[in-house]
Amino acid sequence: MIKTTGLVKKYGRVAALQGLDLEVPNGAVYGFIGQNGAGKTTTIRILAGLLMPDEGWAELAGRNVVRDPRGVRQVVGYMPDFFGVYDDLRVGEYMLFYASAHGIRGAAAFKLRDDLLELVELGTKREAFVDTLSRGMQQRLCLARSLIHDPAVLLLDEPASGLDPLARVEMREILRELCRMGKTIIISSHILSELADLCTHVGMIREGRLLRQGPLNEMLAGDRVRRFILRCIDQEEEAAGLIGGWPGADVSNTGHGQVEFSLAGDAAEAAALLKEIVGAGTRVTHFAQTEQSLEDTFIQLAREVNGA
Amino acid sequence: MSYTTGKNTGGGFLAGLRNGLSPMLNKEMRSRTRGWRSPVLLTVYLGLMSVGAVGFVWLNMARGSTINPQVGLSFYGILIFGLVLLLSFIAPAVAASSISGERERRTYDLLLSTGASLTGIVLGKWLASVAYLLFLVLAALPLLALVFLFGGVPPSTMLMAVLVCLLTGLGYGALGLCLSAVLKRSQAATIVSLVLVFLLIFGTPITAGIAASNINNNGYAPEYYGAEVQQPGVPWYLFMSPLSALTDAMPGAGEVGMGRGMPLISSIMNELMRQFQPRVNYEYAMKVSATSSVIRGGSGPTTGGVDNVKKPGLMASWPYWVRFALHQGILVIISLLVAVTAITPRKPWHTWRTRKNIL
Repeated sequence: MIKTTGLVKKYGRVAALQGLDLEVPNGAVYGFIGQNGAGKTTTIRILAGLLMPDEGWAELAGRNVVRDPRGVRQVVGYMPDFFGVYDDLRVGEYMLFYASAHGIRGAAAFKLRDDLLELVELGTKREAFVDTLSRGMQQRLCLARSLIHDPAVLLLDEPASGLDPLARVEMREILRELCRMGKTIIISSHILSELADLCTHVGMIREGRLLRQGPLNEMLAGDRVRRFILRCIDQEEEAAGLIGGWPGADVSNTGHGQVEFSLAGDAAEAAALLKEIVGAGTRVTHFAQTEQSLEDTFIQLAREVNGA
Repeated sequence: MSYTTGKNTGGGFLAGLRNGLSPMLNKEMRSRTRGWRSPVLLTVYLGLMSVGAVGFVWLNMARGSTINPQVGLSFYGILIFGLVLLLSFIAPAVAASSISGERERRTYDLLLSTGASLTGIVLGKWLASVAYLLFLVLAALPLLALVFLFGGVPPSTMLMAVLVCLLTGLGYGALGLCLSAVLKRSQAATIVSLVLVFLLIFGTPITAGIAASNINNNGYAPEYYGAEVQQPGVPWYLFMSPLSALTDAMPGAGEVGMGRGMPLISSIMNELMRQFQPRVNYEYAMKVSATSSVIRGGSGPTTGGVDNVKKPGLMASWPYWVRFALHQGILVIISLLVAVTAITPRKPWHTWRTRKNIL
């Protein structure tokens, strides 16, 4: 269980966190969503014991980050968004260095090095110098490094940033494997579709405050606003006008014979709107509810906050 | 895919210390022996020393077919002086990028998130730079051995000179490491540490020289006999310069009227030291219990049986190199403590807040 209570962190006059309350159950994959500067990295660095909060508390696996930062480091594997590597070390040496820094030496360290490199599919690169690895390989190496002391909690700050699509898929597969191993993972990312594929829980942060958090399915199903797409023959402007005037409807895109819009309300409300459009003489060829994405939820939530 | 779980043995101060020391030393030593920097630095270092040594010998040999007995001593003096100066500037330069370099490479957070204690990391970094300095000193030993061709320098004196070199490297290396932790950029840390080292080596003797001239101007010099004799003592800050200790590392250094040893610098330092030592008229000193150490303020009964002469402090009887070692030790301790405090995420006020909340 990871829990933060009233976390406050200021950099000079800028408040990065303004009373953040976070709850992550054991074994969860928690997607941490927020814009740039929302406070994601600050939160993760506090949880990793690398930064002390100005106010509030944070606990990981029963260890307090302020009282026991060393204890926290023993149960946390941390992968920062931007990180460097020791260019003059080989991949195997790099792993052994961190194993030794975690107090793992001798045969156990060698075995662990080989197993982890296999896990991240870098077994063949053991003798290569770290600086000769591609960005994706370095990301995977950093992930292997963060696993070397078998942490119960993994803190991954934008693990897929800068990766090509293939490398992202590989990273996602590795993270799925870690989920199966029962690790509790907090993962921040801008690529929300990937988080939706991976996460069991989601927390949305904005300007240092948590907007909403909970299980992913509840977050998506709990939304009152649904998105629809309507296709018609040559009359999309008239249809958009009708939809725009409907209470609770909001047109987001019009053109090429289709209208995309959101609608607050249930299926009956959608059916009533469709009847109105067809009744007005619009030749409708397609009307369907599109799947609500994490991105939609986040954007909608951000708009609600802005509106408030 | 699976992997065997690692047994985390990190816990407790000693384990944290070991988790920092062992991998840091291992990695730093490995890194320093790879790449082009280390061979280039070693080549430049030994090249400068060799050019100086060969040039000196060549100039002296060119004057005639015989070699003056003083040549060996002068040669030794120049070599040691050069070695100390080189190490004085190499040590902080090497250490000044050790922690800030981790920040610049973006490996700092990764390092701090391990089971290594901050003290272990700092000590590991420092010892790694010290080990490199030891390597440089050892590399210069064949050059120093040339001195024995000329004779006149006992091995014990040369050992002391090597010790002074190492002490210099230890202290100034720790200073560079401290600045590396406090200042975020390696470039800034290197520049500031080099300036500070320059001030410590040359600034302290110059300051002492000014202080000495003030003493003379104030008329402390005892032109009379039997009256209270002023003994301001050698100012403490003078022992932050390895030049003070070098006066001990020269054959016959510090003796009354000696003009041997390291030319110029040694003479200047000896003269400077004398300015602060018991300002006793030599004849008067001979009357009471005079030994040559009265003038130098060194070991031995300096003022026994003379009530009106202020007794020197405890440290006044210590050899200069011991006092230099003491100051370097203090510099090391303070520097390392500051470095650990600078890199810890949990500052003292966090501890205070925690205690306050618990209470």
